Amino acid sequence: MTMTPDDYSDLNNPDIPIPDELKSNIAITTLDRIYNWSRARSVWPLLFGLACCAIEMIATAASRYDPARFGMEVMRPSPRQCDLMIVSGTVTKKMVPQIVRLYNQMAEPRYVLAMGACASGGGPFKEGYNVVDGIDKFIPVDVYVPGCPPTPQALLHGFITLHKKIEGQSIMSVPWYKKGQSEAIPVPVLGPDLIDPRQGELIQAASEGEYSAQFETDENA
Amino acid sequence: MYGLGIIKGLGVTLKHLVETYVDDFRWGVRRYTTDDGFVARQSTDTRGIFTVQYPEEKLAVPERFRYIPFLVVYDDDHPDHPGEIWCTSCGICTKVCPPQCIWIMRGKHPETGRPIPDPEYFYIDIDICMNCGLCAEYCPFDAIKMDHDYEIASYDRTTAHIFDKAKLSKPLSYWQKIAPSRALEEHLARETK
Repeated sequence: MTMTPDDYSDLNNPDIPIPDELKSNIAITTLDRIYNWSRARSVWPLLFGLACCAIEMIATAASRYDPARFGMEVMRPSPRQCDLMIVSGTVTKKMVPQIVRLYNQMAEPRYVLAMGACASGGGPFKEGYNVVDGIDKFIPVDVYVPGCPPTPQALLHGFITLHKKIEGQSIMSVPWYKKGQSEAIPVPVLGPDLIDPRQGELIQAASEGEYSAQFETDENA
Repeated sequence: MYGLGIIKGLGVTLKHLVETYVDDFRWGVRRYTTDDGFVARQSTDTRGIFTVQYPEEKLAVPERFRYIPFLVVYDDDHPDHPGEIWCTSCGICTKVCPPQCIWIMRGKHPETGRPIPDPEYFYIDIDICMNCGLCAEYCPFDAIKMDHDYEIASYDRTTAHIFDKAKLSKPLSYWQKIAPSRALEEHLARETK
């Protein structure tokens, strides 16, 4: 992102007066501000995509929208080297363990951006048999970007929202400088299928019985 | 001959590169500083590659662009029905919504308790909404329309991303502003009815 004079004035501490003749030479800031300013302008996303939202994410990463302006152009293929996980697309139950594992492997400070309806709340697949309705059921999400899929500009707005969050944090209270290790999130285990196709005939019989029973009671009522 | 396709492809890339600079020379600084330059870059006739400097300048969205739905209300200065909502709480939008993201409750008259054509509450979970626009297509009263505002990312899903009636309501003049030709079309169709 190109720095405008407003950004610099935000970085300076307005409480301490600087003489006019020194204003172009001296910048007084707090540790929090310089720390967050540098952190917010070098957020490296994790290189992975899940569904159609990933296409929009790729479009955002290309030169037309150029996230290099925000210092976000380096998509790292390793969770050890990145700060931001863009959950871009439908999270299936089969994919959740891998995502949680990647999240656990990311070094703190780490952020998660739920991109699109599916990652935020399940979208059209909510209550589906094979789709998780929102990745926030498993890992903490920092920014939700609605849309199906969000346009590149909407995703960039999500990035800017994340930058604002980063700039609001304080070095005194962030969890990754507290004593002790941060707890890893337990990796969910894929349970048995809700529907076993081998029991198809039994299921059909049961559901037909249920349906006819319901029908009868409706008729009687 | 082998490799001709590669050379052709490289030619296309080279053409883009050259055209980017040709346009820069033709327009000079005006391409990035003036409104005319911005319009020229947005048009379909523009040549070359350029970056959309997103937060500072935004791509103009087409009229048919659709994002989250909103509810049309009369403007506050309307002579007969100031600020009145168009929705009659018929519930067709909730029935056609493929991901079932709309919750609606018909309002009741405070004294008689009879149902009135005004929703008591109207919620859209915008993190479920898939922007298909079926609600706007099916609404018999043109009361729900697709918005163009895409800058709605936030930190919390439950408090910020479940839009209520107040947050969804937008005046008719807003719809006429974002989709002038469609608003006129609908207006004429209502007049002739």
